[in-house]
Amino acid sequence: MSLLPFAHALAAREDLPVPAWLFAWGASIVLIVSFFALAIGWRRPRFEEAHWRPLGAGLSRLLLGRPLQALCGLIGVFLLGVAVYAGLRGTEAPDRNFALTFLFVTAWLGFPVFSALLGDVFRPFNPWRAVGRLAGAGFRAIAGQRPAHLAYPEALGRWPAAIGLLAVVWLEVVYGSSGGVAVGLDPATAATATLFYSAYTLAMMALFGVEEWCERGEIFSVYFGMFSQLGWFGVEDGRLGRRRPLSATTRWAALPGSAAVVIASIASTSFDGASEGPFKPAIESCFDWFVERGVGLTASLRLTDTIFMLLCFAGVALVYMLGVRGMRTVRGAPSLTTLRVGFAHTLIPIALAYLVAHYFSLFVFQEQAQFTYLLSDPLGTASTDLFGTASGGIDFTILRANAIWYVQVASLIVGHVLALTLAHDRALVYWPNYRDASRSQYWMLAVMVAFTCFGLYLLSYSNK
Amino acid sequence: MTLPLAHVGHYLWVLYLLPILFVIAGIVKTTLTERRRRKDSDEG
Repeated sequence: MSLLPFAHALAAREDLPVPAWLFAWGASIVLIVSFFALAIGWRRPRFEEAHWRPLGAGLSRLLLGRPLQALCGLIGVFLLGVAVYAGLRGTEAPDRNFALTFLFVTAWLGFPVFSALLGDVFRPFNPWRAVGRLAGAGFRAIAGQRPAHLAYPEALGRWPAAIGLLAVVWLEVVYGSSGGVAVGLDPATAATATLFYSAYTLAMMALFGVEEWCERGEIFSVYFGMFSQLGWFGVEDGRLGRRRPLSATTRWAALPGSAAVVIASIASTSFDGASEGPFKPAIESCFDWFVERGVGLTASLRLTDTIFMLLCFAGVALVYMLGVRGMRTVRGAPSLTTLRVGFAHTLIPIALAYLVAHYFSLFVFQEQAQFTYLLSDPLGTASTDLFGTASGGIDFTILRANAIWYVQVASLIVGHVLALTLAHDRALVYWPNYRDASRSQYWMLAVMVAFTCFGLYLLSYSNK
Repeated sequence: MTLPLAHVGHYLWVLYLLPILFVIAGIVKTTLTERRRRKDSDEG
């Protein structure tokens, strides 16, 4: 192998037992086998009913009671305040400032995983919800009545959250693109953006109501809440309980714009991976084109990245729509709109799989920074050592390259098999005849194989 | 002796595309076969 002059790719992961592309073939075979297993053995919908079992009343009272909710809200507000203060007053070095790692790694990547495992854990810690509820309580105490809100436009659905999700990723990946550090955004810019977002969110909560806005428009509530639908734990009628995993997803996508949220999640992760990988030559050509026409260097870079990010969104949406359109060819199919909305939730496990696969190693490495020097010296000015860990560092040997690769492959395979299972289950609702239901899923199988192979291609490219 | 494979890595994406093409080909073939069979049984 070492004698062959493969310039850029094949020699990169010599220590893997088989070439990286063979993992894509293996993953595809797993999906195809899963498809046939579902077609044979899964003949009635199982996720449409949650099989809800409430947990102990005492536990519900403790975890959902006002004292703990208030404490969690206070912690959320405090941490957001620390992040904003560190961003405005701390060092300009992105990797030494508490703000960026906390906002874009600990919270942004941590909450999706913990939400999937434990339920909607962001909800009590949501600083804007805490402030909004406090303001609402203050209003009630002073005015003696509940604040009047505008009716939220139904057609708007979760579109504000979908657009906001792209905007957050744009801020981090496009606006803050500087290379060399985990998150390249200027900390002061991140803090200023956080303040603007806080003002916008509180204004929207005042207009439409705290819970209404959190359910539909507040980016982080919608985004983390989406992942919380995957797991066992949830809240119904003010009571904590257990349900069948994945079952809550079947009702999540009913609001308009929900498909756009999950597509935006997959697309933004794909763009982050592809911009430094397979898209790089095309991005450079587009960048040169803008520069040659007199556009400034920074503007050209941002313009180019923005175009490719939107292309990623369009590409993921197109692949999904091809799968949906394919289902329409099976007799007895409902309308295209019903199918488009009805299968959007099947993309949620893929969004989580992409997130884990792409950012798993970043999260493990950056959390070492978060809980050592960033915690003790949040401003990054070497002037404080709050917990005696300011001299700590990141141990990059904690994860071997192959271990990262296997986690990436495993998460992609598991995510897509779960997505395939959800899609098959939903198909049984629309086509009670299991043969027709299985037939309708041919094209969703192609979608899943396409997402898996594309995901593995991106990862194999970026890991080189 | 070294083989002239310096830039073969640029075309690795084809290997990632092949499973997708195989699945699509399988779907098209199965759909056409089922359609023909249904047509035959309707005529019969």
